[in-house]
Amino acid sequence: MNNTPLVQLENVSRIYQQGKVQVSAVTDFSFTVQGGEFSVLCGPSGSGKTTILNLIGALDEPSQGRVLLEGRDLAELGRGDLARLRRDRIGFVFQSYNLNPVLTACENAEFVLALQNVPKALRRQRVMAVLAEVGMAELAQRRPDELSGGQQQRVAIARAIVSHPAIVLADEPTANVDSATADAILELMERLNHEQGITFLFSTHDQRVMARAHRLIHLRDGRLEHDEVRG
Amino acid sequence: MQIVFFALRNFNRARTRTWITVGAMAFACAIMIFYASLLEGWLAGMEKNAVGMELGEFQVHAHGFRADPDLYKRIGGEEEVLALLGREGFIAAPRLYASGLAAAGNASSGIELRGVDLAREPRVTALNEHVWQGQWLAQEDRSGVVLGRKLARILGLGVGDEVVVVAQAADGSTANELFRVRGILKSVAEGVDRSGFLMTSAAFRTMMIVPQGAQQIVVKRQQATEDLNQATIRLARLLPNHEVRNWRQLQPVLARLFEMSDVSLVIMLLITYVAVGILTLNALLMSVFERIPEFGVMKALGFSPGGLFAMIVMESMLQVTVAVCLAVAVGLPLSFYFSSHPIDFSGFVQSSSTIAGVALDAKWYCVVTMNSVVLPVLFLYLVAGLAILYPALKAAMLKPLDAIYHR
Repeated sequence: MNNTPLVQLENVSRIYQQGKVQVSAVTDFSFTVQGGEFSVLCGPSGSGKTTILNLIGALDEPSQGRVLLEGRDLAELGRGDLARLRRDRIGFVFQSYNLNPVLTACENAEFVLALQNVPKALRRQRVMAVLAEVGMAELAQRRPDELSGGQQQRVAIARAIVSHPAIVLADEPTANVDSATADAILELMERLNHEQGITFLFSTHDQRVMARAHRLIHLRDGRLEHDEVRG
Repeated sequence: MQIVFFALRNFNRARTRTWITVGAMAFACAIMIFYASLLEGWLAGMEKNAVGMELGEFQVHAHGFRADPDLYKRIGGEEEVLALLGREGFIAAPRLYASGLAAAGNASSGIELRGVDLAREPRVTALNEHVWQGQWLAQEDRSGVVLGRKLARILGLGVGDEVVVVAQAADGSTANELFRVRGILKSVAEGVDRSGFLMTSAAFRTMMIVPQGAQQIVVKRQQATEDLNQATIRLARLLPNHEVRNWRQLQPVLARLFEMSDVSLVIMLLITYVAVGILTLNALLMSVFERIPEFGVMKALGFSPGGLFAMIVMESMLQVTVAVCLAVAVGLPLSFYFSSHPIDFSGFVQSSSTIAGVALDAKWYCVVTMNSVVLPVLFLYLVAGLAILYPALKAAMLKPLDAIYHR
């Protein structure tokens, strides 16, 4: 049995240079995420939640320490390898959806599969199944500007999970949607975690998200404050 | 294929800006196709005047004649030479030359007498079709002469007027004769315009007492596809006792002018396209910079830097391709129209204007060649390709995180 954690952060610090001032976003942070988790990084604004997601998502590099995904040290990968890693192993759900405005919901959802050169017919079949899963099959041919915020976030979730990534990183996924939509989205992700075993790691300070999490990683001033595992 | 798909989707994104950019490129390219065709036409006209009217493709002289033109330095046995050239795939016509003085009323002028073989000359040059007033020489009209345009003006002569010629004949006696102006040539070349005095070779031989020989044999290739230099070498081997020169050697300034025409076209292309390039660069930079967060997301989702670079270049090339299609659709018909409807610069160009001694035709035709279409198109791709390099590289090198949060 492979006991390698899906995500492993070892004494990670991230310091940003803002003009002449150095700002420490994350300080000496260590934690692991196992496959199948439905975990939340929580804490007030500026506590380092998004920075940690960016580090795990290979969008940023630590100033100190190591970030490992499936046992691979991200620092050892080049730009091309990191691009492939993000494409094949990581799904992203952004706070502001970030759908491509010139593509339809269906095309947005199949974006990653297209990058993976999955044959068109198979791609379309998988995307339509996932869009049906997130309740967007009937709106598949609409462009983002023809969809509500909640609908766009559902498409973003479909885009994140359609390629079966090792982990989905969701940065404040409910921040820009109303309560009902937020509940629906969370329910959807919870179901995907439960039924398909997809690992989710959120950053949020939304109580609704935290209420559904199996594990809460509390952050304060870039440091781990408390790691709470729920039954 | 995905790159083409994304490029196609992005093509019409900022519709107004895209079409202004495409329109500017198409306009510049169409103008350059037209300009290149006009330049080709102008050069073809120059070549026609120089080679087709006066020089011929090659000239054969007796040794020393070109350095020191002399009535006695003639090619002997010219009929045998002409027959040999005919057998070897050349078309040739003999010419006779002498200097003299023409007088009419109170005016007089130095002239270059030219005896023309009426049967052969039209097969080598189109001088007989280049008569401005009156008619070309006729065998039966031995006193009829055709004059250069400037010479006729200097002497105050019109068609039908009489003119007296005095020269030294080959036997040392004074040759003088009364001729009647049968025709006046259009502008051909400085020398012919200023002092050309053309008569039939029979009249020349009688007046100048030159029963045999010719000072010059003008030659043309039967197959114009044969390389000029190769044909010159072949001709020189056929006639080892004579001086053989092609028109490029006879008119090096003109030859250089033709060689430089491609350079001048390239310079014009660069000047025009640099302006278009700046416009294109500006539009492309805007297009790239306003989409930086989107590129960041694409990279976050796994779009490779190389793929992003290729997509942006593809978008640009797509715009260029549309511009090229529009430019060809406009530029080609325009050029073809002016290939049969010349632009008349008579009001701006003097009838006597010359370049490198060759008359400048006041009517400019377009001549559409592969060069006149392909060069402007290739240059547009090149300039647009260079213009897109910076924004495409910049986008490709962006870190995903910096790009996503770029404002």
